[in-house]
This record gives sequence, structure tokens and C-alpha cells, in this order.
Amino acid sequence: MRSWLRGHPWQADGLLALTLLVVAASQLPAGTADGATRAAYVAVTVVLAATVTARRRYPVTAFAVAVTIGAAQVAFGVQYGAPAKNFALQPNNADLAILVLLYTLAAYRPRRVSVAGLVVCLAGSAVAVARWGPAHHAYSGTAVLTAAAGLGCVTLTAWVLGDSVAYRYRRAYYASVEERAARLEAERDAQARIAAAAERARDLQEKRARAVDESVARLRRIERDLHDGAQVRLAALAMNLGEIKEILEPADEHIRTLIETAHANAKQTLTELRDLARGIHPPVLDRGLAAALASLADTSPIPVGVSVRTVTRPSPAIEAIAYFCAAEILANAAKHSGASNVTIQAEEKGGRLAVTVTDNGSGGARQVAGGGLAGLLERVQTVDGQLDIDSPPGGPTTITIELPGHA
Amino acid sequence: MRIVIAEDAAIMRDGLTQTLSRRGHDVLAAVAGPDALLQAVGEHLPDVAIIDVRMPPTHTDEGLRAALAIRRDHPQVGVLVFSQYIETRSAADLIAASPQRVGYLLKDRVADVRDFVDALARVASGGTVLDPEVVRHLLSASRRADALAVLTPREREVLTLIAQGRSNTAIASAFAISPRVVEKHVASIFAKLGLPPSSDDNRRVLATIKYLES
Repeated sequence: MRSWLRGHPWQADGLLALTLLVVAASQLPAGTADGATRAAYVAVTVVLAATVTARRRYPVTAFAVAVTIGAAQVAFGVQYGAPAKNFALQPNNADLAILVLLYTLAAYRPRRVSVAGLVVCLAGSAVAVARWGPAHHAYSGTAVLTAAAGLGCVTLTAWVLGDSVAYRYRRAYYASVEERAARLEAERDAQARIAAAAERARDLQEKRARAVDESVARLRRIERDLHDGAQVRLAALAMNLGEIKEILEPADEHIRTLIETAHANAKQTLTELRDLARGIHPPVLDRGLAAALASLADTSPIPVGVSVRTVTRPSPAIEAIAYFCAAEILANAAKHSGASNVTIQAEEKGGRLAVTVTDNGSGGARQVAGGGLAGLLERVQTVDGQLDIDSPPGGPTTITIELPGHA
Repeated sequence: MRIVIAEDAAIMRDGLTQTLSRRGHDVLAAVAGPDALLQAVGEHLPDVAIIDVRMPPTHTDEGLRAALAIRRDHPQVGVLVFSQYIETRSAADLIAASPQRVGYLLKDRVADVRDFVDALARVASGGTVLDPEVVRHLLSASRRADALAVLTPREREVLTLIAQGRSNTAIASAFAISPRVVEKHVASIFAKLGLPPSSDDNRRVLATIKYLES
């Protein structure tokens, strides 16, 4: 019921108007006036009651219309010192509409408007009582005062009720505003935190890229240093020992054995040093991915077809990762797949480097913890790369790694 | 021999110069970069140039490219490329045009001075020298594993030395067998692999390398 009333204001207020009409209809005095006057009385009453139907939509207009009718009634329907002459404008129960509208004004309009309405109503009440009292000699002064006080109290009560509703509305409104402000602030906080996190992620990404680049550059430098330093010195030393060995040939057996051992050790160390340096950074990588992959293919016991289609050269770190991954995959294929043919394709896809290694072996390659492919994934993930293994039982095996153009 | 050396490491450049001079060879120039090398070779036209693969400015394959340029512009000059690392691709590039007067050795080989000087002499006199490491790579990565499996162990050893550029005489002395036995082995190997027989050592190397590479 309540929700229906709330959802249908026109109908609800229409019912209120009807109610006013019903209570006013009982007051229609019989036989005291002619038909035209009675019709005018009914018309005024209907208009007065009807004002409440518009109270929520046009509170001020409705109030003004009702008050105007009320004022006309006070002026012409209540006669000072005599019974009413103008029957059509006699006050009746439909004047309750004015109270309803004062209540509405207080509830829906700013307080200064409703206070003005209140003052008008109180003044109207006072004048009405002042004009009505003397016209009815039968009533004592106390009765007149009581009537005035009662009318004033009812009027004030209507205003107070309306105003308290407005107060509740305002409080609810302020509360909702405050809540919205708090929510907005929380949102701003969250956005700031997200922005800070994104900034930090970018920062970390840059730092990681620098770290990856630096580590590759450092490995390359170590290899260079070995090549230009230790390796060449050791080769020169081995050459000297070789010369001494030849010159000493007829000399002391003991010295010759020592020299021969030193010579052999130097040569062995050269071999080990070479393997070590090559594992740190294969020098062929300096000549680009195509040369490095071709060199890889040269040493593979399985025939390897290499095709490299890149326009811009990836960064050295990316080339190194691609090379070591291809080497690992190739070694796996040679060891486990039984393949008779492998192809390595490197191409640029939207600024990223995709290396695809396909073998026609028996398939079934998968990642196991600590295995070669798991190591591959770790290597690829250091630069946000991706590893994709497609190796159904029976083959063929296609392993794709995708790397950014730079770390 | 009249020799030009190109090697950017001073210790190795000086060591080689001393060693070769002590043996009575004539080191006409010892330089540190590819440009100076090409100039010295053009000027002296030596019997042989010893060239390090990694030289300035980029320290990648300057030496190899200089060696190829010398082989193109001065075919009468022998070229011995030596390197810390072996790339079979580089060896193939070097002997592709002609297997004459060319060598490719690991830098380590200078430790055995006599062998190194012998190799130098072979290059200078028109022969081919390929590092045993190159040949080992070629054999292990060869797609012809099935055909090679038909060879006897001794024939495989002989094939290895052929690929290194050794003559029948050298092979005979390496295994302490008579040259006639070596000839028999060589004929058998070439027949088994389906290669045309050749008495020319250089053509023999080329045919062998091409076979192993293909």
C-alpha cells in the first residue's frame, strides 16, 4: 500500500482530494440558497480540493491557488458582525487542503518559502477568527481565543510535520553526499595505488632489461678478455714450451720429461679454456643470429635447415637467448627424437622474434622439472618470452619460442 | 719462406716472428689489423700470410674476410688462417673457390712448433691444411654416417688425414706403413664413397670436404 502510494503520487493525491470532497460534501447546507449559488459553492470546493492533486509537482502554485481561495473566503464568506452573505465562498472542510499544502511546502521547498507560507496561513487564520468571532455573538471571548489558538496550533503542526520530513530528506541527502565523497576519495586512492604499482612495474621491467643486457654484455666481455688475455698468453707459453722441447731434445732426460709435461698441460688447458669461453659466449653470435644458427647446424649430426628472416637485428641479449635455446632444442632432438631432419626458422613477428624448431622425430617431448625444456622456459621467461611445445606421440615436434625484440 | 703475420695480440705476433726468424724464415711484416695486412701483402707478395680471424675493429671475422680478399686478389700468396675457435663454415668458405695454398688451423697448433711450421710450408708450396678439429666436426656432423660406417677403422683414419690435406707420403709416415698400402686404402675409400679417384692432393681434399659437408 505504502509503496503503491509512493509509486503513484497523482493517484494517491487524487484519493486525498476525493476524501476532502467527501468530508466537505456533508456540510452542503440544504435549502439555504438558490441552485446557481449552490453550484458555485460546489465549484469552489472542488477547485480547493483539487489543488492537493498537484501538491507534489507544483507545491508553490497549488499553495498559492488554495490560499487565494482561502483569502476570498475570509474576505467574502465570513462577514464581520453578520451571517455570511456570500454563500458560495463560505469556508468548509475542504480548506484542510491549505494545511495539506502548507505541509507539502514545508516538506518539499526551502525553509524560507515554507516559513513565508506559514506566516500567510497564520495571518489568514487570525483574520478569519477575528471576522468570524463577532459575527457569532453566542460565543464568549474565551471561545474565540480558543478557536484562534487551535487554528494556529493546527497550522503550525502542519508546517512542523512537513519541515521534519524535509529535515529527514536533507539529512539523508547530506549523508548520501558524504558517502559519495568518501567513495570518490577511496576510488582516487585506489587509482593512485594502481598508478604507483604500474609505475613500479615499468621501473622493474626497465631494471630487469638492463640487468639482462648487462649480464650478456659482461659475459661477452669475459669471453673477449679470455680471448685477448689468458688464451693468447697461454698459446704463446705453449709455443715457447714447444720450442724449448725441440731444442732440449738431446739434453737431460729429467728436464725433458718436465718440459714435455708442462707443454702437454698447457695444450690441455688451452682446449679446456676454449670450451669454457665458448660456453660463456659463442663468438659467432657477434656475427648475428643467422651466422650463429648456421654454425649450430654445421655441428649437428642431424641435417638442419636454417632460415632466418629478420629485418632489424634483435638486441645481443635476445640473440643469445634465442641461440642457446635453439642449441638446447637441437641437442634434445639429436639425443631423444630419432629425427632425420630438423628445421630452424627465425622470423620477426610484430617486433618480436619467433624461433620455431621442428623435427620429424617420434614426438612426446614434454617439460619435466629440472629437465632441458624447463631450463629453456626459465631462460625465456627472464625476458617475458614464451615457450610453446607441440609434440604429440608419434611426432612431429614443434617447439616455438617467442621473445621481445629487446630485453 | 717469405712470411707476413697479422695478429692483434702483441705477445703472439712477437712470439711467431721470433720463432719463424730463428728457423731462418723471412718475416717481412708483422701487423695488427686487416688494413695493414692487405697493404703488406700487396707490397711484399709473400709466400704465405698468417692471419688471425679476430682482429680490430669489431674483433669478429675481419681476418677471415681479409684472407678471402687476398685469395681473390693475390692467388699466388698462401693464406694460413688461425683462430681460437673453429667454424666449419669458415673453413668451407676458405677452400670453396680453390683448395690451393690455403690453411685453417686452431691457434693452439702453434704449441707444436715443428708441425705448425710444416703446415705453413705446405700452404706456401700450394697445399691444403685443415685443422684436425675441423675434420672431426665434419665427420661427426656428416649426414653420410651410413656410408662412412662402411669404412674400416684404418680407412677412417686415412680419410681423416686426407681431409686435413696430408699427402700419401705424409700419411704413410704417420702410420708407419708403406706408401703403396696408403694408395690402396685411398683407392678403397674413394670407391666406397663413390668419389672420382684423383692423384692430386688438393682436389682430393676438396672432394672429401664437399662429400662430408653435403
